[in-house]
Amino acid sequence: MRMSTAKRRGVLSAALASALTVAGLGASTLGGAAAGSTKKATTHGTVTFALPPAVTPNYILPIMGSAYYSNVNLYQFQQIMFRPLYWFGKGSSPTFNADLSLADAPVYSNGGKTVTIKLKKYQWANGKPVTSRDILFFMNMLKVEQGIWPVYVPGEFPANVVKMAAPNASTVVFTLDRKYSDTWFLYNELSQITPLPQAAWDKESATGAIGNYDTTPAGAKAVYTFLAKQASSAASYASNPLWQVVDGPYKLKTFQTTGYTVFVPNSKYSGPVKSKIAQLILQPFTTDSAEFNSLRAGSVDYGYAPPQDSSQIPLLKSQGYNTQPWIGWSINYFPMNYNNPKVGPIFRQLYFRQAVQMLVNQPVDIKKALYGYAYPTYGPVPILPKSDLSTKQEASNPYPYNPQKSIKLLKSHGWNVKPGGTTTCAKPGTSSSECGAGIAKGAAMSFNLQYASGLTYITQEMQQLKSNLATEGIQLNLTQAPFNTVIANASPCKLSASCTWQMENWGQGWSYGPDYYPTGESIFETGSGINEGSYSNPTNDANINATHVVSGTAVLRTYENYLAAQLPDIWQPNPDFQISEIRNTLKGVTQSSLLNYTPEYWTTTK
Amino acid sequence: MAIEHGLIAIPPTSSDDALVSHLVRPPRKRGAAVLSVFLENKLALAGFVVLVLIIGFCFLGPVFYHTNQVTSNLSVSNQAPGGSYPLGTDNVGYNELGRLMAGGQSSIEIGFAAAALAGVFGVLWGAVSGYFGGLVDSFMMRIVDALLAIPVLFVLLLMAAIIKVNALNLTLVVAFFAWLVPARLIRGETLTLRTREYIQAVKGMGGGASRSIFLHVVPNAIGTIIVNITFQVADAILVLAALGYLGFGIPPPAANWGAMLSQGVSYIYAGEWWLIYPVGGLIILTVMALNLIGDALRDAFDVRLQRR
Repeated sequence: MRMSTAKRRGVLSAALASALTVAGLGASTLGGAAAGSTKKATTHGTVTFALPPAVTPNYILPIMGSAYYSNVNLYQFQQIMFRPLYWFGKGSSPTFNADLSLADAPVYSNGGKTVTIKLKKYQWANGKPVTSRDILFFMNMLKVEQGIWPVYVPGEFPANVVKMAAPNASTVVFTLDRKYSDTWFLYNELSQITPLPQAAWDKESATGAIGNYDTTPAGAKAVYTFLAKQASSAASYASNPLWQVVDGPYKLKTFQTTGYTVFVPNSKYSGPVKSKIAQLILQPFTTDSAEFNSLRAGSVDYGYAPPQDSSQIPLLKSQGYNTQPWIGWSINYFPMNYNNPKVGPIFRQLYFRQAVQMLVNQPVDIKKALYGYAYPTYGPVPILPKSDLSTKQEASNPYPYNPQKSIKLLKSHGWNVKPGGTTTCAKPGTSSSECGAGIAKGAAMSFNLQYASGLTYITQEMQQLKSNLATEGIQLNLTQAPFNTVIANASPCKLSASCTWQMENWGQGWSYGPDYYPTGESIFETGSGINEGSYSNPTNDANINATHVVSGTAVLRTYENYLAAQLPDIWQPNPDFQISEIRNTLKGVTQSSLLNYTPEYWTTTK
Repeated sequence: MAIEHGLIAIPPTSSDDALVSHLVRPPRKRGAAVLSVFLENKLALAGFVVLVLIIGFCFLGPVFYHTNQVTSNLSVSNQAPGGSYPLGTDNVGYNELGRLMAGGQSSIEIGFAAAALAGVFGVLWGAVSGYFGGLVDSFMMRIVDALLAIPVLFVLLLMAAIIKVNALNLTLVVAFFAWLVPARLIRGETLTLRTREYIQAVKGMGGGASRSIFLHVVPNAIGTIIVNITFQVADAILVLAALGYLGFGIPPPAANWGAMLSQGVSYIYAGEWWLIYPVGGLIILTVMALNLIGDALRDAFDVRLQRR
């Protein structure tokens, strides 16, 4: 049964009572698997999990560029094989989870400039222990490849770790360049670490011997190059022995480049709970309608109802499915490329972004395209799951739908608005009544926007936006492409003739992770790896940096209120990650707002 | 004795007045004969009426029934038929009845244009190939064979993905493969026609190849050409619908029946029949009408049937 927004907020606010504080750590299990179930749990059985439409896993190495940095690659694919050092997500709360982490909570000393990490007893699938060397192996490669790391921000992790040491096999000591907020450093910096099997991967070619190549920058680069080349061969994922050395609860049995994936339990997994299911299948779909057909046919155990089919939820219930909206710790937006030589100067004008934002009617989009399974985005901090981090200003809409005001704004900045035609710049120049720097007379408001295929609601929203913009003479040329293509195109690029993309909308904005504390440096700070549109604002940068060193929420509020007004991207409704439909015989499922999952807790009952 | 062209080959022993009358009757004009046979085909007439009605619906309908097919309105999306919306609204709030008209315009326009283009090019290609024969024929027909061997939909999707989709480009894309069949048919016709006396006479009097092809070969193959173009229109509309269904039609706010059907299928479980049946029915009716007309024209141009 569909949960009302108010009810969802109540449930989640309880889960977030101690939101985002490390002090709240306590022993808790995820989900309480099978609690209360009186039916017999089996250690066999296959669970088929439906992947989002037109989204497929396509990269296995946990160090990857922005073109591969998707929720599916990160959470549904890599992390169940290669566990991150620190696990986040406790129930639906986006908080630190000590139980599922490979190490104890970090200990800060030396005035906060030294961090000591103590590993728990975990082992790789080849029987060798997970050691401090495996952390250094990851760090050494990340340091030489930080330029491609999507969440890298100049001067921050891993650059802010100035010294690393492994005094013993289970201890790592980091020396930092300065003291940081303990919470921020754990949630947004240490959260990026994924130990990798040095004893199996530290080589420069497939036939080369294992060594300590990563200890020099040149060697680390060579090892990374070798591993990245192996990772680029998706067809060999299941057969390449490299990828069988995992420390997560599952390992790969089958992988097809279509995205069809079969995982089987890793018998050497050392975590608190071992898999009780024999196989986990990730099933790809090209459209949400195709997925829903499979769901109706009963061939999916854990799928989703597209919003437009939400009226069918009672029928699904009668077919043995339980409906659970899966709400992410996320915001939704689509970026504009500020460095596009042709239209970038227009995107850099705040009045233009405000004018466009005032043509996005989020309440109507939520009601009519998403059937209520969404909440608005008006700023950089998610307003759900409810927490004390989002401000009243952000929760209200600074730029509500208002076409008249939008037109007035363009006219007052020297644009010749031609409803139904093409609006052009009539008054070039930099004064407050002129078009703005870099915009020539006659420059046209005509933009290309590529959006992800497969999801009906994105098509509806984009068609409506196109129509709304056309009423002001802003031409939006829409094209569709698969999700992976869209995120690959939406990569930051330097101002040049080859920096051609204009607007890209993959429909899911940003799910906070591994920057779980929503301070936004990964996506909004100048020069960060996944600041797709290359937004740059010194005030915003200063606000973000304040959140890194000052504890408490006051600095975060300053940051978010400012950015909500600045519109680095165009905010759009944030849909539930999915309206999950879970077969009644599948127990133990907990939907983390961080979008990771823990199938080792799942059981199937007869 | 042969009765070629209905001339004066009267059997001298015949005493049947009616038969005599028939045999000595002046030959009917060919156009009248074709029309006569066509009109005898009731299914073809029904197809013709349906096609006229559909064309009228698409092109005259908007004159009498005004709807906004440019500006969408999500706030009235997915409305059931009734009130201001006789056929409801689609998923972005367009009036579905008006949308059917707009979608039909583009489907019919592009369908006819692509068929005409393919027909003209295919006829010329086939006529030249058949007329010259030999190495020229072999070379030109191997090109046709090679293109016929390529999966059409695959290439169409590839081309539609590469080029900017608009009415002109879509016409060219569809025509790019549609000309192959008329080329083959006309080449076969030309192989027969080029041996006829009147072609030989043109050659004997110093007439060039272009004169023979344009003034003698093509006019004498006109029946085959018209019939084939009729089928080409139907095929082009189906290809357009397929492209639109797969998301490669003309982008909104332009409408096309294939995309409308594709969009409607997303709501099949929600019971929103008005997004599926009307547009599906129109595609079927249009294609069926064109096929019936094509069948009847094939009969009408058949000389044997004209003598019934």
